[in-house]
Amino acid sequence: MESTRQRLIKILESNKNAYLSGQELSRRLDVSRTAVWKHMKELEKDGYKIEAAPRKGYRIVAFPDKVTKNTLRWGLNTIRIGKEIFHYEQVGSTQEIIHQLVQEGYGHGTVVVADEQVKGKGRMSRPWHSGKNQGIWMSLLLKPELPPVQAPQITLLTAVVLAEVFASATELTPQIKWPNDILINHKKIAGILTEMQAEQDQIQYIVLGIGINVNHDQQSIPEDIRHKATSLKIESQKSWEINWLIQLILETFENTYEQFLDKGFQSVKEKWEKYGYKIGEEVTISTMRKTWPATLVGIESDGALLTRTNDGKQKKLYSAEIHWGDDGYNANP
Amino acid sequence: MYKVEVSTAFIVECYKELLIPVIKSVIKKQGVPSMLKVQEIRELIRLIDDSKIDEFCFETNGTKVTMKKQGGQVVSQQLQEPVQAAAPVQEEKQPQPEPVKEKTEQKPAQEENKQEAPAASQSDYDAEVTSPMVGTFYTASSPDSDPYVRVGDKVKPDSVVCIVEAMKLFNEIEAEVSGEIVEILAEDGELVEYGQPLFRVKTV
Repeated sequence: MESTRQRLIKILESNKNAYLSGQELSRRLDVSRTAVWKHMKELEKDGYKIEAAPRKGYRIVAFPDKVTKNTLRWGLNTIRIGKEIFHYEQVGSTQEIIHQLVQEGYGHGTVVVADEQVKGKGRMSRPWHSGKNQGIWMSLLLKPELPPVQAPQITLLTAVVLAEVFASATELTPQIKWPNDILINHKKIAGILTEMQAEQDQIQYIVLGIGINVNHDQQSIPEDIRHKATSLKIESQKSWEINWLIQLILETFENTYEQFLDKGFQSVKEKWEKYGYKIGEEVTISTMRKTWPATLVGIESDGALLTRTNDGKQKKLYSAEIHWGDDGYNANP
Repeated sequence: MYKVEVSTAFIVECYKELLIPVIKSVIKKQGVPSMLKVQEIRELIRLIDDSKIDEFCFETNGTKVTMKKQGGQVVSQQLQEPVQAAAPVQEEKQPQPEPVKEKTEQKPAQEENKQEAPAASQSDYDAEVTSPMVGTFYTASSPDSDPYVRVGDKVKPDSVVCIVEAMKLFNEIEAEVSGEIVEILAEDGELVEYGQPLFRVKTV
């Protein structure tokens, strides 16, 4: 059931250029005129700008770019992803919050968004710089009915979703560095961290963490990583509305995810390879025991990286350190 | 009580890897005889469709799924048979050309497992924690953290004992049993295979 607040926003949005009288609104929402007025005041707190003209009524003049639970929910065109949204101004990490929400019984599709993370987590708990209102720091809770061996495919799927969103929303050309870093002009713009709780043969849940540098200026990226990290603003020379981007990501994710469950990994694989970074080029691969040069061929039907060694042999990789040879930046900064 | 028959000219290793977890997840959920979920059937059809398997039959208590390829398409059939009071016979027929049998046990039926049968190990254990996927084995959540468990530590079924990472998915592995860790079989940072034993546990 939609809240009165959300219905009010919807009515105002569909009559953007016209004034609606308090009486009309009170009739359509079936609440008193005083209640309408109170809701308007609350909307203003969320960042909506509402013009009230004598004898004409109310008119919405600006939608907020402030991220709140309401502004994220409103206009979000998804069925399950984002059905429950939690927004925080500051958290340790959105991943941790999801782990807690699972214990409280929240289910598939729950989303946590933060303006700022003070303990943003990257791979192996490496810190992820996630400053206030500059980027998208969010985590999704997923409970797929898949065997655990297929779960890593969701990480690749998410990389495809982000690449598609960047490609459609901006004029930039994103690339995906296996398995899941998003690059623009050879610099990292977004990262994905996937954590799973599973038994041998059953996934309990997956926490999908997404970090995107959106409105960082050159100066707000720490100096030591400036040569290898960038933001949408730096690359496109303009600021981006966070709410809108989050909604676009959630909607694209839901569609791609449903398609994946329905039709399998093939459709994801094709899109992934379209964005694949350094496919056909030589890189250096290392595991704990050895290091060798190899050419990237593409990805396998299960998402593994397909490589070809100098003696012509093809090898599937599920986990390895890859040295990409540009600015000493490797897969796991 | 289940039976899996796969008849095919040959079966490639990767199909086995993909099929076993699906079948096992079906079996595990079926404490009581029940129909397969649509999602599970869909998954099976897709895997068979992509494989070189011509005919596939999967039977659990009272439920039987048969798939047969006709002109490259998978045709599937699910039967809900009357549940018998007596335990179903766990027989294994020998399909004619190069039969491939997957005897699905609690632990993946891998050759290595069989070779290092109980006699091979000196430590006293009665459960193994195995890797659910190919990936890198990590004993701690980060290089600076303490390991999740050490030999001699007591674990509960939901205790996290390690992480296995594949394609940047970090899988926190739980002990699934109560007991004491008696042996750690993989090294931090090592590449582990699907089904490879990682820990030995003396259950209590």
